[in-house]
Amino acid sequence: MLGPNVAWYVVIAAFLFGIGALGVLIRRNMLVVLLSLELMLNGGNLALIALSRHWHNGAGQIFALTVMAIAASEVCVGLGLVVALNRRNLSLDVDTLSELRG
Amino acid sequence: MTAMTYGAWLCLLAPLGGTILITLCGTRIPRVAAAWIATTSVFVAFAGAIWAFLGVHATHQAQCLGTLPCNLPRGEYTTAWTWLAAGHFSVPLQLLVDPLSTMMMLIVSGVGGLIVLYSIGYMDGDDEERRYFAYIAFFVFSMLLLVEGGNLLMLLIGWGLVGLSSYLLIGFWHDRPSAVQAAKKAFVMNAFGDATMALAFFIIIAHTNSLSFSTLSFNFSSTQANLISLGLLGGAVAKSAQIPLQTWLPDAMEGPTPVSALIHAATMVTAGVYLIARTHPVFEQARTIELIAAGTGALTLLVAGLIALVQTDIKRVIAYSTMSQIGYMFVGVGVGGYANGMFHLMTHAFFKALLFMTAGLAIHALANEQDIRKMRGLGRVMPFTKWCFLAGALALVGIPPFSGWFSKDPIIASTLNIGWYGYVFYACGIVGAFLTGLYTFRLWFLVFPGEPSPFVREHYHDHHGREGAWTMLLPVGILAVLATIGGWIQFPPHWDPITKWLAPVAPSLPDAVASTTQETVTSIVSPLVGLAGIAIAWAVYSERKIAIPAAPSVRRVLENKFYFDWLYDRIFYEPAVWLATFLRREFEEPVVLQTGTDLGDATIETGGLVRRIQTGLLRTYVLFLAAGAAGVVLAFLIAK
Repeated sequence: MLGPNVAWYVVIAAFLFGIGALGVLIRRNMLVVLLSLELMLNGGNLALIALSRHWHNGAGQIFALTVMAIAASEVCVGLGLVVALNRRNLSLDVDTLSELRG
Repeated sequence: MTAMTYGAWLCLLAPLGGTILITLCGTRIPRVAAAWIATTSVFVAFAGAIWAFLGVHATHQAQCLGTLPCNLPRGEYTTAWTWLAAGHFSVPLQLLVDPLSTMMMLIVSGVGGLIVLYSIGYMDGDDEERRYFAYIAFFVFSMLLLVEGGNLLMLLIGWGLVGLSSYLLIGFWHDRPSAVQAAKKAFVMNAFGDATMALAFFIIIAHTNSLSFSTLSFNFSSTQANLISLGLLGGAVAKSAQIPLQTWLPDAMEGPTPVSALIHAATMVTAGVYLIARTHPVFEQARTIELIAAGTGALTLLVAGLIALVQTDIKRVIAYSTMSQIGYMFVGVGVGGYANGMFHLMTHAFFKALLFMTAGLAIHALANEQDIRKMRGLGRVMPFTKWCFLAGALALVGIPPFSGWFSKDPIIASTLNIGWYGYVFYACGIVGAFLTGLYTFRLWFLVFPGEPSPFVREHYHDHHGREGAWTMLLPVGILAVLATIGGWIQFPPHWDPITKWLAPVAPSLPDAVASTTQETVTSIVSPLVGLAGIAIAWAVYSERKIAIPAAPSVRRVLENKFYFDWLYDRIFYEPAVWLATFLRREFEEPVVLQTGTDLGDATIETGGLVRRIQTGLLRTYVLFLAAGAAGVVLAFLIAK
């Protein structure tokens, strides 16, 4: 088998996921939050593909493709919201958008 | 299927088709078109009835009037499909064409057709004519279902539907509170009768597992037979407005006059008589109950006759007279003379519809005034109405040769052979004949003869120089002829086609056949007594006026209709209202309503506790999510 050990891939995937999650938690700009979400998804994708190759099972790759499609749709909606907010001259700071407070 | 069953189906379905057509067309057709659709459909039904009659007549001729004894068949069943099946119990959608049902079909669709034709003129210009004609065609359909139904369930369906259409038509002028009240009253009192009938049917099903007419000859134990007959009698008494369920009929006069003529005189209210004649095998097993039916009739004919003496509304006088005449029919079928009862039902349909329709002509020409004290001298301006009313009145009193004489006297005579109570019924019948003469001609002398009163002169308006539209005058004329000659078809004991016609279905009991002497004596005494009533009415109410003996207490009792309404208010209405108010105060408000409020309050309070979690900050939610996911992972790791 060519290439590095599967453990490396998983570690990098975990790093990507962790960076993404941290970004979602601590950044307040909505664009950056969306970006971080993409990072998390791609971390997951990387793990799926790596493990798929490791176990010689194609299901993981299929999952990855599905996740990409979902990520694309999610970004569409998310960016659409960003554009809508911007048009109304509302702040993109997620902390100020708290109208659903109970 | 033979020709006569086709006739029966045509007869039943034509008015239903008329109703559906009028309903579907709605306002797309002119009002006159709706009226003519209804009229045509009922006359088509009459044609179907004649078709069925001719079919039955042919078989009847072959079987019963020939030399052969007529045992079977008594009629022909025609089944569309099995409508209801549960285990061994099944009820087909079935009609029965036999002498009894064809006779009723002819009366209902024939008199019905004339009355619907009359309504074209009477209802002209009413706001909701189309609704009226849809209802009235629906009524004719329901009534035909009642009389043609081939088993007890079909009969009960027709029974319920006539109650419904009666309710709809009494309350036709729904902007009058009194009409709405009257409709409700009629419906509730009829529902009581429907319920007792249904109970009787349950007993029949429990013991015979069937609802076909033939099970009525089943050998019931005497308790069962008594209970079944009592249940059926309850239905008959409610529908036919006999004591103690009679109070709805006078109030039902709130409906349009043709409705009173059709439903509350000619057809629906006589359904009780038909029911007893149809279910006579079970009544004969419970002879006591059958005699109670006769007793109820005898009591009602007296009470209603007395109340009619003091009524001032022209339609109410005729309504009480209807109750009284149905009392005669109950006596007739109660003592076992089914043919006598059915014959009186037929002639009564003619002359009572005629009386209502002439009253309708008067009401229509006098701008809806119904108070007879204002109407004196109407005969001068409405001669046609006057003579037609006179024909109806003489038929009602039973003066020969008008039809009532032929049909009422056999009923009175038939009571003589059944025992001592027969003499009581006989006396009631004779006194009833006197009262009939008195109240009918009180009405006549107050309304028609003499110089027109100022009210009549001021309010009378004719219809293009005539007393009404031709659609109103023609049926009245036809019915006046029928009321005069309709009785000639039977003159017992010499000439009795109707008795022979009904013999295969409802043979009269031997007790109920009067001897020639009894018939003759009654036929002489009864019209003489009626004439005495007329003479007193003439002496008291015509121009020469002898003062009415003042008996204020008697008068008050009669004007309050023997306090039946007052009594029912005390016994049923007021306790029910009291109970409802009590439950509202003590149960609904503190328990039902308060429980709802408490539940709502508790929910709001609990919600208030947890609402703080919803901060509205996106990042908090994400934190909770992440923490939750981490928690799950940790839990798995630890568990491993």
